[in-house]
Amino acid sequence: MLEISGLTKRFGTHAAVNAVSLSVPAGQFVGVIGRSGAGKSTLLRLINRLEEPSGGSIRFGDQEISTLSGRALRAWRARCAMVFQQFNLVGRLDVLNNVLLGRSFVVPTARALLKLWSVDDRAAALSALEQLDIGLLAAQRAETLSGGQQQRVAIARALLQEPDIILADEPIASLDPRNSRVVMDALRQINRELGITVLCNMHDLDVAKAYCDRLVGMAQGRVVFDGLPEALTEDEARELYGLEAADVLDMTPETLQPVAMAAEGRRFAGRRAAAH
Amino acid sequence: MTELERLKRQHPAIFAPSIGQRFGGPIAAGGIALSLIGGLWHLGFSPGRIVDGMGQLGTMIGLMFPPDPGSFARAMIYLNALGETVAIAFLGTFAAAILAMPLGLLAAKNVVANRIVHFLSRRGLDSIRGVDTLIWALIWINVVGLGPFAGVLAILTSDIGTFGKLFSEAIEAADKRPVEGVLSTGAGPLHRIRFGILPGVFPVMLGQVLYYFESNTRSATIIGIVGAGGIGLHLAEQIRTLEFGHVAFIVLSILAAVAVIDAISGRLRFAIIGKRAVPVD
Repeated sequence: MLEISGLTKRFGTHAAVNAVSLSVPAGQFVGVIGRSGAGKSTLLRLINRLEEPSGGSIRFGDQEISTLSGRALRAWRARCAMVFQQFNLVGRLDVLNNVLLGRSFVVPTARALLKLWSVDDRAAALSALEQLDIGLLAAQRAETLSGGQQQRVAIARALLQEPDIILADEPIASLDPRNSRVVMDALRQINRELGITVLCNMHDLDVAKAYCDRLVGMAQGRVVFDGLPEALTEDEARELYGLEAADVLDMTPETLQPVAMAAEGRRFAGRRAAAH
Repeated sequence: MTELERLKRQHPAIFAPSIGQRFGGPIAAGGIALSLIGGLWHLGFSPGRIVDGMGQLGTMIGLMFPPDPGSFARAMIYLNALGETVAIAFLGTFAAAILAMPLGLLAAKNVVANRIVHFLSRRGLDSIRGVDTLIWALIWINVVGLGPFAGVLAILTSDIGTFGKLFSEAIEAADKRPVEGVLSTGAGPLHRIRFGILPGVFPVMLGQVLYYFESNTRSATIIGIVGAGGIGLHLAEQIRTLEFGHVAFIVLSILAAVAVIDAISGRLRFAIIGKRAVPVD
């Protein structure tokens, strides 16, 4: 059970995550949705502690996460794997070693630095890759792979951590629709078969509705929706995405958009005519 | 309000650039031209002296042909000394690179976040680098005596500063994504350096080291003149005794050695870096 309460992250005076409270039972597939800049990414990074919280608490079971440091923090990160939008692999390292980095907390540092992974660990890495249908790419440099393949390598790395939670930060935002489905299917399979809790950031509402047990909607750093995917009405969704657009532009959408678009259209039409 | 007025109001800098934007370029160009003319005048530059000197240069080049070491024994002595020069450059450059590695990490903001450590290591490297290889050679000759050992030490000391700075800059420019990827797995600070940072910057560093090896082969010639071993001493001696056939032979040998090193290091870089070109420096 992951218990977040009053979690806040400020960059200067701007609160990227503003007093977020959330409780995630083990095994749930949670989709965090909202526009870019809503604080989804920061929320996930706070949970893995790639960002330091400015306030509030994160608890996992009996443990307070927000104050961990040193080896205890490393232990937590190992239990709470992260998948990134840009895959964040070591490009010049081969796929197998990238996956084996998932063992970096449990394997003695000297062995890890020399890449002296045990036979069992190698086997585990290979079978994770095979489960994701990229076993044959094990010896290739990670940077030579396509985006979809790289994201699957990142998921294999996460699996080698034998985590309780996987935090997926926009895992499909850089992928084409077919690869998006492969990656989302893999995450759901991991969630269903291994019982690993998944928190997944997305801005595509349809994908979120198709895969998640529960949706958490964020806007301006706050949770503005929390419930079943079916419970999110079209009006609520529009509010979730529209509210912020209006706020960012500091004008009401009704007055701004038609005028600007009409002016734009005229200008481009004029230029096209002039060009011909 | 017309469209033009609205645009003028929103982008004042585009329609009414400041004096600095308008006249900055011409003023800078004028300043550079003035200092160039002033410098030439101050240093007693005169076209007449160049024209007179041209004849002299022509005679010298004439005497250089054909390049001739005199005898086979002399040729072997020169080639041997050239080998020593290349060895000095090789040992100095690679020893400097190995020693500069930890210093480069120490001086990189994204590895050691401490401001004081950063400041001290940066300034330390700058002061070592601020003293030229030739001056280090003169110092080391007094410490360890004449010969190639002083030459190796001279290149080593001056390049530790250069490499330390170049390495730390390469490390600071490293991609942050693999670092986050590695850290997110529960990895420690050593994993972070070994897997998050080094794979990305190693080819850049290697390129820099190979480039400096080639450049140091030329520097090692110069420090030979002051007695720090290698071909330089022979070169200076033959110029002094006006044996221009010998001089030409030595100069051509140096050029050939540098060309060979350049070709080998190019291939080595290509083999390690792969298809992507990595800029040096």
